[in-house]
Amino acid sequence: MSVDITPEGFADDGSYNLRLYVAGQTPKSLLAISNLKKLCEEHLAGRYRIEVVDLLVTPQLAAGDQIVALPTLIRTLPPPLKRVIGDLSNTEKVLVGLDIRRRDNL
Amino acid sequence: MDRSFSPPLSQAHFDDLLERLREAEETLDAIRHGEVDAVVVGGSSGQKVYTLENADRPYRVIIEQMREGAVTLSADGTILYCNERFADILGHARESLIGREVLHFVAPADTPVFAELMAHGPASGRSAELSLINADSVGVPVNFSVVDLDMGQDSARLLCGVVTDLTRSRQRSHELAAANARLAAEIDVRRRAEESLEVALDAAGMGGWDLDLAQGLIHGSKRFDEIFGREGTPGPWLVGELLARFLPEDRPAVQAGFEAARRVGSIEFELRIERLADGARRWIHVKGRVHRQQGRNGRLAGVVSDVTTRRMTEQQLRQAQKMEAIGQLTGGIAHDFNNLLMVIGGSMDMLEEHMPGDERSRRYFAAARQGVERGALLNRQLLAFSRRQDLRQEAVCIDDRVHSFQGLLERALGETITLQLVEPEARWLCTTDPHQLETAILNLAINARDAMPNGGTVSISTRRVVVDSERAQSVGAAAGNYVAVSIADTGEGMTPDVASKVFEPFFTTKAVGKGTGLGLSQVYGFVRQSDGFITIDSTPGQGTTMTLHFPLTDDPEQARAKDDAAVTLRGTGSVLVVEDDASVRDIAVRSLGDLGYTVFEASHAQSALDVVASGVGIDLVFSDVIMPGDIGGMELVQRLRRSHPAMALLLTSGYTGQAMADQPRPADVQLLAKPYTRATLSAAVDAALEKARARLRDPGKPGV
Ligand SMILES: Nc1ncnc2c1ncn2[C@@H]1O[C@H](COP(=O)(O)OP(=O)(O)O)[C@@H](O)[C@H]1O
Ligand SMILES: [Mg+2]
Repeated sequence: MSVDITPEGFADDGSYNLRLYVAGQTPKSLLAISNLKKLCEEHLAGRYRIEVVDLLVTPQLAAGDQIVALPTLIRTLPPPLKRVIGDLSNTEKVLVGLDIRRRDNL
Repeated sequence: MDRSFSPPLSQAHFDDLLERLREAEETLDAIRHGEVDAVVVGGSSGQKVYTLENADRPYRVIIEQMREGAVTLSADGTILYCNERFADILGHARESLIGREVLHFVAPADTPVFAELMAHGPASGRSAELSLINADSVGVPVNFSVVDLDMGQDSARLLCGVVTDLTRSRQRSHELAAANARLAAEIDVRRRAEESLEVALDAAGMGGWDLDLAQGLIHGSKRFDEIFGREGTPGPWLVGELLARFLPEDRPAVQAGFEAARRVGSIEFELRIERLADGARRWIHVKGRVHRQQGRNGRLAGVVSDVTTRRMTEQQLRQAQKMEAIGQLTGGIAHDFNNLLMVIGGSMDMLEEHMPGDERSRRYFAAARQGVERGALLNRQLLAFSRRQDLRQEAVCIDDRVHSFQGLLERALGETITLQLVEPEARWLCTTDPHQLETAILNLAINARDAMPNGGTVSISTRRVVVDSERAQSVGAAAGNYVAVSIADTGEGMTPDVASKVFEPFFTTKAVGKGTGLGLSQVYGFVRQSDGFITIDSTPGQGTTMTLHFPLTDDPEQARAKDDAAVTLRGTGSVLVVEDDASVRDIAVRSLGDLGYTVFEASHAQSALDVVASGVGIDLVFSDVIMPGDIGGMELVQRLRRSHPAMALLLTSGYTGQAMADQPRPADVQLLAKPYTRATLSAAVDAALEKARARLRDPGKPGV
């Protein structure tokens, strides 16, 4: 299953395409969705698209992005592909991982 | 990673490796720090996800299966997860809901309720009813219950919600309410119908009942309980309890009736019960019908009414009709019998003059005359019964009469019986014939004596009785005031069966030669002819009270008393005898001839008129009342009165008194009752001639 939770009025103008792999309703999966939504609203308002992939429903999708642990967030656009593992509760780490804030800016 | 690749690493390649290493480290790090709770493991059968909380799988299945919407919300109300049912309720695809604010779907009016629901308390669950707006912009009523999910120390707050669609249950409760209202209305209508039915039944004096054969219970209305005499214990009757109310001899008929009802579908009988309250025996009429057949156990419903009064009235009516018929018959026989006695008596009067003087002949002759007299007495009794005796109507004080012949009564009763005369409250007057009254009381006293062979007491008392219209109907007399004289004895009494027959002529329980069975018949006829009635109150082994009722009068004027002359009066003049019966005519003709009169005869009225018209000079016309032909005796004398005012007139008949009431005879024409003796005939003829002479002397007066 792949769930698109992109907010209404998104314009495809080189903003962020994010894909979150979850395992059903595990607490970390739920937290990850929640955290990601919040984080995007705060830092990427109007510039993101989120797709949630539940690997409990469609485990075969794990192969494409070589997912090994869940939840895992993949930035598909802009390239290069970026990956953040975990429930996304460490906002700084996520911002850096997604290249929204440069690592050396820390 | 490919390790067979050996040439020196380019910078880009190096960076790539470094990046991959970082990712691997981060992955390990994340696992080590518990930031992930599921891993993907590749295998021959493809990828598999292992959640670290695999134990929650059954619950997830339940969540997906259940009929309630399930939703997991972040603290700000974002939908993080929802089951298929939740998506259904809102009419959206499940995918499109994840990440949306649930508030977005809450009906604007319910947002405060929802805010309240989201805001409070981490501890317990809470719920509220509100409306969600579905994809078709229709409000869906739901019950939204949430509980805070404890995710451990400083983790973000999560809420789990269960959403129940109330549309169906709201609809159902509406339907239920509507059904309830309908039912209530129906019950109301039924109750009213039942009430008015009960009122109507009650007005008709009927009780309603309903028998449940399966339960063996009978539900009866208030009137039903009243009829059976049950007081103070409301509720249904047991079948056995009700059956026990019927007289033992009637119970099999009741049971048979109910048995048959199962087959034929209806029931009707009229049987006797013993009323619970006062033990009174009553006739009841039961009618019903099977109205609900459930297998073999149906229900019967119907009505019951107390028909005792109706049955009594019917019985009295039948009795009255029977007495009337017997009276007619007896009267007819008495009439013919009278003529026979006339012939015998008249012939004997004539024979007497030619009688040889020897003792033996005289004895036979006396016996024959006695026979005629007894026959005449018997006939008078029969005529009395058939209410055809000539009654005098006077204002009589019964108590005075009883005292005046007390000595005679005491002699009749004998020494072993005490006569008690109860002092009355007042000296009431009633209209009747005093001599017949004495005869009647004597008859009753003699019956009382016969009922007390070992002695006892006869007490005679009078009192005033008011008869209302209902009682009047049942006793066959007019309503009003009566004087009642009771003759009570302490004798053997009568069974109801005997009591119902005692007034019939020739009914007697006494040995042959001892009773004639005419005593009470005579009393009955006399009392009826006096516009009164008789009641019997008798208990076998205890005694009998016979009570005669006569109309009370306030008018003390006494009617004239007249005594018959006992001597034979000879006379002169011409007499025309009009009589259809040849033998009777013959006797009359000879008697009158013997008395010195010149006699002419005619067999019917028309020939009598012819004789008168012939101008032979008739002084007196002596005519029978009832004769065949167009003209009867009454009309004959009326015509003669007009055409020959000076002519003396005399009538005779076997029927007397009220039988003649419809044909009033001229006031001054006497009626000589049959059978008459030579002496009474001579007196009547003489009186009639004398009256005519008086009228001739003083034509202004109609004569006395
Ligand atoms: N006082 C009484 N007590 C008991 N039985 C009576 C009494 N009076 C009349 N009866 C019954 O009524 C019957 C008819 O009476 P009644 O007409 O006077 O005829 P009789 O006296 O000749 O038998 C009697 O035979 C008797 O059975
Ligand atoms: Mg008698």
